[in-house]
This record gives sequence, C-alpha cells and structure tokens, in this order.
Amino acid sequence: MVQREGQPHINRKLFDFIEVLRDASIIISADEVIALFNAVPEIDVSDKEIFRQSLKTTLVKDYTDIPVFNRCFDQFFSGREKFFDGMDISSLSSLRDGIPAEVIEDMNDMLDKFLDSLDPAFLMEKNEDEIMRMFLEELPEGSSGGGGGMNIFRSRSGTAGSFQSKGEDGEAAEVDIEAMMDLLRNMMNLRLSKRKIGKELKNREDFLLNKFIYQLTPDEIREMRELVNRFGQKLKSRISLRKKRVKRGGIDTKRTFRTNLQYGGVPFKLFYKNKKIDRPQLVVMCDVSRSVNQYSRFMLLLTYSLQSLFSKVRTFAFISNMVEITDLFREMDPERAINSMFTDVNFTYGWGSNYGRCFDQFIENYSDALTRKTSVLVLGDARNNDNDPGIQSFRKIQERSRNLFWLNPDKRHLWDWNDSIASLYGSCCNEMKEVNNFLDLSEFIDKLFLDI
Amino acid sequence: MFKNVEEAIKELEKQRYIASKDIATTVYLALKLEKPVLVEGPAGVGKTELAKCIASALNIELIRMQCYEGLDEAKALYEWEYAKQLLYTQILKDKLSEVMGSESTLSGAVNKLSSAEDVFFSEKFLIPRPILKSITKNERTVLLIDEIDKSDSEFEAFLLEVLSDFQVTIPEIGTFKTDVKPFVILTSNSAREMSDALKRRCLHLYIDYPTIELEEKIVSLKVPESGERLIRQVVEAVHRIRQLQLKKEPSISETLDWAKALVLLGYEDLDPAIAVETLNFILKYEKDIELALKHSKDIFLN
Repeated sequence: MVQREGQPHINRKLFDFIEVLRDASIIISADEVIALFNAVPEIDVSDKEIFRQSLKTTLVKDYTDIPVFNRCFDQFFSGREKFFDGMDISSLSSLRDGIPAEVIEDMNDMLDKFLDSLDPAFLMEKNEDEIMRMFLEELPEGSSGGGGGMNIFRSRSGTAGSFQSKGEDGEAAEVDIEAMMDLLRNMMNLRLSKRKIGKELKNREDFLLNKFIYQLTPDEIREMRELVNRFGQKLKSRISLRKKRVKRGGIDTKRTFRTNLQYGGVPFKLFYKNKKIDRPQLVVMCDVSRSVNQYSRFMLLLTYSLQSLFSKVRTFAFISNMVEITDLFREMDPERAINSMFTDVNFTYGWGSNYGRCFDQFIENYSDALTRKTSVLVLGDARNNDNDPGIQSFRKIQERSRNLFWLNPDKRHLWDWNDSIASLYGSCCNEMKEVNNFLDLSEFIDKLFLDI
Repeated sequence: MFKNVEEAIKELEKQRYIASKDIATTVYLALKLEKPVLVEGPAGVGKTELAKCIASALNIELIRMQCYEGLDEAKALYEWEYAKQLLYTQILKDKLSEVMGSESTLSGAVNKLSSAEDVFFSEKFLIPRPILKSITKNERTVLLIDEIDKSDSEFEAFLLEVLSDFQVTIPEIGTFKTDVKPFVILTSNSAREMSDALKRRCLHLYIDYPTIELEEKIVSLKVPESGERLIRQVVEAVHRIRQLQLKKEPSISETLDWAKALVLLGYEDLDPAIAVETLNFILKYEKDIELALKHSKDIFLN
C-alpha cells in the first residue's frame, strides 16, 4: 500500500469513507481498497471531480450503487478544504488561527483513536454529547504526548481558565479554554455525523422497505420510486445470473462437427445444446379496491421493472369487474399507467369487491392467458363481501396454470375474519402468503424463479 | 501514455472523442495502474468508440473481440489449423516415407515420427485468436472485448484467468507470456450481471448520456457544417425526448444522424413541423414516435 508523507489524513479519511460505503451496503473488497490506494498518488486530489471519479471507478463496481455512492460522497466530503488540510472546521477558522497546528493535529489523532476504540453499534446509540463526555473522561491525566500542548484537558470539567501550550519555539501561548472546547466539540460532532452517513442511508432504506405499505405517506412513496427501481434492477441481474443454462439438451451438431474436425471427423468429443430454461409467463390479477390498492400499485411497479425476465406478462385489475390492463402499461410508463388506471377504467359493478364474479369473468374471457408455463399471482385481501366465491372458476384457474399464488396484505390472524374467505381460496392455491411491505413482495418474486 | 487527466482529454479530443472528466480519469488511472476497465452504459454512448480512440491516441494497435453466445476458447484464444496440417502431411508424404524408409519395425517408425511431430504442432499451424494475439504481440495493444454480457459465464471464468496473469498455455508448445500488458477494455450493455470476481479485477466506468453542453460539443465536432443554433435546438430536443418513457432512447449516434440529415435537407433551424417529419431519425419504434408526437408541444417549442 502506498503511504506518502503528508498524506496520513487523506488515508485516514478514505478508510472512514470506505466504512461509510460499506455501511450503506455497497460491497467493497480488499482488491478495491488496494486499487484505490494505488490510484490516489497518481491523481491530483485537489480536483474534486477527478477525486470523486477515482473513488467511484475503483470502489463501486455495480452501477446501481452509483446514486448511493454519490449521496455518501456529497455528504462526506462536503467542503473539500476541510478534508485536505486535515481540518474539520470551517466555521471556527478564526478560532483555529489562535491554536497551534500541532495541537489540532493531536486532537485529530486522539479523536480518531478514541472513536476507533468504540463499538460502532455503540456510536449509533449514543448522542454526540454523551460520547463527548466519555472522551473527556477517558483522557489520560496530563496527556502531553505528541506535539505537546494537550495538557489543556486536565481541566476537563470545563472550568474556565487558561492553560499553557508550548509552541515550536517553546514560547507559551494562551488559548481560551472555552473556545478550545468548542472547537473540540465541533470536531467530534462532524466526525460522528460523517461516520453515520452510510448507516443512516441504509436505515432509511430498510425503514421504507419494511414499512407497511398502506402506511406510506405520499412523500415516502415518491422517495421509494427510485428505491423500487434500483431494487428491481438488482433483483433482475441476480435472477438472470442464476437461471443461466442448467439442463442438457440434444447434441449440438454444429459445434460437435467443428471441434471434431481435428480428429478427422470422428466424433470424440460431444457437445450438447444447453437447454435454456423457459422464461415463465406471468398473469397478475390485482384487486384495486380501496383497501388494497396501495399494494397493487407496488406490485404492478415491481412486475413492470422485471418485465424482461418473463416471456409474457398479462395484467388484470378488478374490483367487481375483471379488466385487462396490459395494454395500458405498454403505452405509458408504469407510474402514469397506474394513475390513469384508477381514473379510466370501469372496474366496478355494484358495490365492493366481488372476487367470485371476477374469476368467472376471467375464465370466460381470458382463459387463453393460461398455459402450462403460466404462473398466476393474485393480489387481494379475499374480502368477498359475502358474494358467491366462484370457487369453480378459481379451481379452473389453478388447473390450467403452472402454479397459483395469492398475496394477501391482511395480517394472518385476520384471514377468515368477517367477510374474508382467505382459507377457502388459499386451499386452492399453491401458497397464500402474507405481504406487508415491499421487501415481502420482492422476496416473493425472487422465490418465484427458484421454483422453476 | 497520458501524463495527466487533462492531457487525456486533450489527446482524445484530437481523435474526435469528447471525453468527460469522469471518463478521462478512469482511462488515465487504468493505464497507470495497468488494470482492465469494465465500461457499462446504455447502447450508443460511445463505449466501443472510446477504445478505438484510446488506441489511436496512444498510437498502438487495437485488437477487437466481439462476444456472442457460444463464444469459446477456440475462438478467443487459439485454434490448430487442421486443414493446413492435413494438407501438409499429404504434400510431404514422400518426404515422410523417405524419413521413415530406413526403419523396419513399427515401433521404430513411431519413434521417428514422434520426434518430428513438433513440426506439425508449431506456431506455423496455430491460428492466433484475439487474446493470444494481444499477448504474443510484445508491445502495448488495446484489447477490446466488446459486449462481454453476451458471452456465457464459462467464457467469463476463462477470461478471468487471462486478465489476472496475462499468460496463455498451449499444451503442445508451451506458455506464452507477455511483459507488456495489453490495455483491456470490456464493454457491457448490462444484459446480464458480470460476476463479482471479474468486477473486482477491473476498474468500473459507467457512461451515461452526456450533458447538454457535452453533447453540443460532440455534435459540433462531428457535424461541423451545422450551425450553432441548429445544434443547440437538436440537442435540447433530444434531451427532452430522452425524458419520455421510450422503448429505445435516442443515443448520441442518433443525435448525430439527425443533425446530419437536417443539414443535408438544408435546414438551419429546427422548427416543429420539420422536427416532427424527421423524428424517424432518432426514434426507431412506431410507438415511440407516437409518444413523441403526443408531447411535441413540450419538446419542440422553446
């Protein structure tokens, strides 16, 4: 690893930054770290654009992580000048002038050492003041190691007074202890908040992904749009990697011939055609009545970001009428399609959801959508308003498809409660699953591909 | 070799390639650290072009390998030229029997033949494929492995070996090694995810559609005959069109085509009527054109 005089601060910061990225769940291996430290001496670090790109190009290997990287970078390196002279203060720069540089260096080092000795989880729990107090308490009595002048902390209770600090020429300098404490507190706070950047980003994401979908506020939904996109992309590449060729098919004549030419055309080596797994076909039926339409919205968004994984996706929406909305999505982006769906199409006939009627309609009008390869997803709370459940039609759907899944946003203990007939439908499905949040939805999609 | 990032930008510009600072930084670092670069991004943003321009800027040879499904070592590394071997044995039949003539026993003949078999498995009968070529060259080359996402994962695994050691072993001949590592550029349209092992060995560069300023610069460089006014109008329109949810977004090459076409047609101004008529230069799907027409008011009226 390359270490250069005058660069310990940079290295230190880079390690901190790598930790932040890791906290934000970007995977960074030793190879990447080494590449970064090899790269840094080659570039002009005072050019922010070049610096940023050098970090990005060496550390981030998955382009879906780039937005996360950018956010972390902006927060972490806000104010380049603070970074490059090893100082963490700009608002207090006037103060800084009054304090010898070595003292600040010392303080920096001690803060770093102190924070490194603490458990990261502990840092997340405590607030800045508590950690500051701990720092002051742990300071060794009269620690004057390093450049000299750290004896200020002997008066750690913060009583006003003055102290001695030896400058380079041995001259005593007087510094206001209150100001010194201020400076120290600022340095500490900045450091702490920087360390938390990645964690906080990740926590926010986890929070959104795990939140009950019907509790999401409009602002959060907007925030999640990007998240859903990124998540979908990740899921997509993971699945496409996994379903690469598995089963062996017949002999690949072309390749066998060509390879065996070297044996005079005698087929010594055989090559087989690799049977590609068929991409599944998907039929999605979403209940869009008030009680579940938030779920349907996310389900539809997710299926459409994953569209290329399926050979065919047909989408239906219903309340008491089954309506195909596949074309709607073909014409506009999913976001707008969903919005227009709620205004355009007439789903209702009579009052409230009527699952039975809708399944009957489906069998009657759209049973061509069902083949041996089709997976059928139904999203709804199975609250049939005491209508005819249409169980015959539902069984037919099951018989004619490869598998049939039901995603139920209701809590499990509410199934069969009141007008819900969840277990009646559930008995005909391969599985009825409770989904509460976005993570459940995507997990389900992921699993769908495992079963094939 | 570029001295610094600025020089990389300048040298690439001489090759008529406008590199953003991000692109130049990665290229510069990759050359310095002798690491391969994995370039990702939407189709038509100049990923392949970048490799070509680096080669000509550094004045070294470009060796290109196009990946496709079913690409194997024989196509990427080397292959014995079977037909030539056969032909030679036929032609040399007399010579062979002359050599063998003195041997009376079968085992004696086999021994004699095997001592001469090196002749048929020498570099003369070897067809070097791109990777072997870049290694045996013994001078710096740019090895472009295009659309790596189209190849199979087995090939990717094989590539790993080459990328880490830059040496190739041919059982009949021996190991080829290079002192001068080729500069490897892999491009991908992200049709599938590359394995982590491959990514770890590479620097990563994501090229997105350029900013308006950069794209204006590109158009004025490539289609200098179009006026400044037209360029700005074209680029702005394209950028607005990219905002729509299209099946295929217009890339830089389509912007260039459009600008060229407008110049050929003799327009100096992009008024909405003309723009609508020539939309098929930038949009390749009927549905996309319809969508753009629907929004033509927002796109073409400044």
